[in-house]
Amino acid sequence: MHVEALAIRLRPRSNGEAADLGVRLCQAAAPSVFGCYLAVALPLFVVCLACFELAQWLPTVAIWLAKPWLDRTILFVLARAAFGQKTTPWDVFRARRQVWWSQLLRTWTQRRLSPWRSLTGPVYQLEGLRGSRLRKRVRQVRAGKASAGLLVTGAFNLAEAAIVAAILSLFVWLTPEGMQPTIPILLDPSNHGIVQFVVALAYAVAVAFVEPFYVAAGFGVYLNRRVELEAWDIEQELRRAMP
Amino acid sequence: MLDTVVSAETPEGIAVELRPAGFGARYFAYLLDQFIRIGIVYTFALATIIMGGFGFGLLLILAFALEWLYPVAFELSRWGATPGKRALGLKVVMDNGLPITPAASFIRNLLRAADFLPAAYGAAVVSMLLRRDFKRLGDIAANTLVVHRPTTPAPVAIEDVEPLAPVRPLQPQDQAAVVALAARASRLTRERLDELAALAAWVSGDMGRSGPEVTRRVLGVAQWLLGRR
Repeated sequence: MHVEALAIRLRPRSNGEAADLGVRLCQAAAPSVFGCYLAVALPLFVVCLACFELAQWLPTVAIWLAKPWLDRTILFVLARAAFGQKTTPWDVFRARRQVWWSQLLRTWTQRRLSPWRSLTGPVYQLEGLRGSRLRKRVRQVRAGKASAGLLVTGAFNLAEAAIVAAILSLFVWLTPEGMQPTIPILLDPSNHGIVQFVVALAYAVAVAFVEPFYVAAGFGVYLNRRVELEAWDIEQELRRAMP
Repeated sequence: MLDTVVSAETPEGIAVELRPAGFGARYFAYLLDQFIRIGIVYTFALATIIMGGFGFGLLLILAFALEWLYPVAFELSRWGATPGKRALGLKVVMDNGLPITPAASFIRNLLRAADFLPAAYGAAVVSMLLRRDFKRLGDIAANTLVVHRPTTPAPVAIEDVEPLAPVRPLQPQDQAAVVALAARASRLTRERLDELAALAAWVSGDMGRSGPEVTRRVLGVAQWLLGRR
């Protein structure tokens, strides 16, 4: 861990600002982040959407379940971006054992249900601890920041919902006059066909766009917590000042 | 170095740091304001229900005014923010850090209609996530910026240690780093404090050494820098 190599200006921030810093990091590293993330997510989404034939609710649920696993790829890229490194999908593939296959069971079960997974995700994935030390560390990082993690999750879930609503209303506006589905039709689960598929597709697009920003915002709060706990900002300054 | 800060220059040539507020805080501020507005309309509806059609007319006028004038009125007040924004520690200013002008406030709030498109503020969400100053469309048109209100940090108590002169003259930013270490000392674990003090040990002539004794001497230098001789 070389704090002086971080490409981020650290200082104690409020939780909101820390989340903003994460979003800013994601913007700055957008080619790397979206390149790697979409390389993993798009094939998965295609498979999920193909499940539409089995059951209409299946694509949405499958994408929702896969989110914590997809987060790991994003976080891998973001953690490197924090040190100013670029990442290609090939880099992710070479680190696949660490990024994709480790902690697989917990990623799909316990962490899926965690309401602050973007805050605790970096501890699980980046700090390399195991067992009781890992659990203690997660509690320490989360202490006093659980509400911040919760708010980040809430805000970005709303962002996702807003984008789904936006895409669906675009769909309604662009359908020919007289064929528009009404809201009851959109919400009726017994209605099959293209409308339900568009709902699933809109959700996939929203997740593809919002998820990296969500993970980044949580990563920002996590970095801020490290600044609080371990005074990383001061270490950065002292290392710079060393003769 | 990556940071969210935007710097603006005043006509006097002074650089001001503005810290734009991003999606999370602004969304919750919006939700709070929305709850307040709904609360007002609901209370008023209870009061006007006995007035029949006339009361309903009044209610519609009130709803219209709340939708379009509520943000403008509060942004032009001395807080520069709606109650929701104030609760989240936000404030609306011009791009150059000056207080928001009436024209800009009207523009940014009228263009909420554009931000709302295609539904549920989709355009605003995308714009806030993609722009490095987190502006929505209305902010771009009106040259305004939603910023985190500067807060005064709480005073810190620095542990009393025997002051000690640094072994060589220090640059201002080095002095600031040593003092910042002392200010944070009480909130760090002892081991971490020793680790950090070892990095600064050269100021007290202990370069390459570490331990509680070195830490005490570095904190002593901080005391000296703060003016205790």
